[in-house]
Amino acid sequence: MRTKRLSIGLGKTLAVAALLFWSLFPIAFIVMSSLKPGQEIFAVPPAYLFTPTFENYASLWNRWGSFFDGLLNSTIVTAGATALAVSASTCAGYVYSRNAGRFLNASVVFLIVVRLIPPIVVTLPLFPIINAMGLNDTHIVLIVLYATFFVSLGAILMRTFIDQIPRELDEAAQIDGAKPLTILLRVIVPLAAPGILAVAVFVVVFSWNEFLFAFIFTATKAKTTPLVISEMIGSIDGVDWGILFAASTVQLAPVLLFVVLMNRYLVAGLTAGATKG
Amino acid sequence: MRTKSLAQSLPLIAPVHMLILSVIVIPSAFVVWLSVTKSTFGQDPSFVGLENYIRVLSDPAFRRALWNTIVIVVCAVHIELAVGLLVALLFASGLWFRRFLLVAVLAPYAVSEVIAVVMWRFLFDPDAGPITLALKALGLPILDWSFEPTHAMVLIALLTIWLHLPFTFIILYAARLAIPSDLYEAARIDGATPFQAFRRVTFPLLGPAVMVALLFRYIFAFRIFSEVWLLTGGGPARSTEVVAVYLYQEAFSYNAFGSAAATAWIMVAASLVLASGYVFLLRKQVTGNAH
Repeated sequence: MRTKRLSIGLGKTLAVAALLFWSLFPIAFIVMSSLKPGQEIFAVPPAYLFTPTFENYASLWNRWGSFFDGLLNSTIVTAGATALAVSASTCAGYVYSRNAGRFLNASVVFLIVVRLIPPIVVTLPLFPIINAMGLNDTHIVLIVLYATFFVSLGAILMRTFIDQIPRELDEAAQIDGAKPLTILLRVIVPLAAPGILAVAVFVVVFSWNEFLFAFIFTATKAKTTPLVISEMIGSIDGVDWGILFAASTVQLAPVLLFVVLMNRYLVAGLTAGATKG
Repeated sequence: MRTKSLAQSLPLIAPVHMLILSVIVIPSAFVVWLSVTKSTFGQDPSFVGLENYIRVLSDPAFRRALWNTIVIVVCAVHIELAVGLLVALLFASGLWFRRFLLVAVLAPYAVSEVIAVVMWRFLFDPDAGPITLALKALGLPILDWSFEPTHAMVLIALLTIWLHLPFTFIILYAARLAIPSDLYEAARIDGATPFQAFRRVTFPLLGPAVMVALLFRYIFAFRIFSEVWLLTGGGPARSTEVVAVYLYQEAFSYNAFGSAAATAWIMVAASLVLASGYVFLLRKQVTGNAH
């Protein structure tokens, strides 16, 4: 009995170790390599003990100014897309939670069906249209695209979260003569904060990391960080892996920290999104 | 009262629908029209019926891309499901530092496809990649992904699994936690072994969550673009292209908007078929339970 329990414990420990290695080793390895001096990156066997240096970050700063423009663009696009998606989703989610009817049910089904359309499909007609409108290579295009591909999930998630807020609260406000928008802002939004954060996590992670739309719709002025990094990989023959690792670390660190801090909302959002949408 | 509340709610649901209509629905409908016409930049389109669809479906490059996509979807998604299920059961069996471990398993969710390609490309670098070196030291075969299309596909599948395991795991873990513990107690009192408890309690009750995870992952894995584009660019000689990369090449490298549009609608149709298959199975399950 005791040996059996011991072997189960050992098996579990090994499984957890394998799991940690699988999830964290790739991340840890590039962060670690970004701190290695150039010649040690390709050392055989790989060096795990070395004197950390910031020389790769210094070269990134000196040689890839466009990377830092990319960070700024990514920040603007992420903030814009998140604000747009969260506010549009909250308004719609409120209506779906508090009202019923054939028309509204049909529009929820519509939101679910729309999610079946792959993003790459819309690039075909949007490419010439956006060019004709002179909006190519602007922040606004990416903001609208990123927000749109999350408002359907966002609205359904917000409905689920707002469903948990007692109706008596908004009915009381209604009797006091408050307008729907006032009720939404004063009563619902403060109580629906976990839902808003869950939607925000999805949009922030997606907008900060997205590649396809940025690749097709931006060229120089609105280029986001993933696109700049892809150009670093593209010049692979002459690529400086040290700089690439430094750039990857800088791109990854804020969003990883964000996911770690918001893990509760991410889990809540993933669960609600998958079962309700 | 009803009409008044509808009039009041319309402005609140309008932004979501305007965004979706103008960015997704109308452009997608326009793609239908593109798919039955012949057009390139600067030329007036002319109606050609189903010619584009026939051309795409008989193009060996498309068939190769479709085959590659199906292989990635089938292999990656099912392995991911199996691993996700094991990890969910491991978590449910009680672990120390559970919150820390949960966050660790979630971490790849934060990683962009671009960075994931940088990571895995280096880990499997044929000369200096730490995994390649470890495989060599153990006398195991290495992944020669820049020359061997099959090896490149294995690397793409690994990368996909790594990026999306957090999603599959969370869905399954949440569903496992939702199973009341009385059921396990009852099974234990009835003398069920842990394996029997898994087969008779866990497995049937996880069914719907497994279906949801599979459906989402099928649909999203079918769209795979960035991982392939950034790792191999579809090469060598278009051998590792997937459907989305084929679409991109047709539209933006060869200016063949007609066949790109046909490819796009083949992708949409594939998603619809998968989703309706899912709805059909759910219906069957519901009626099955009722009987």
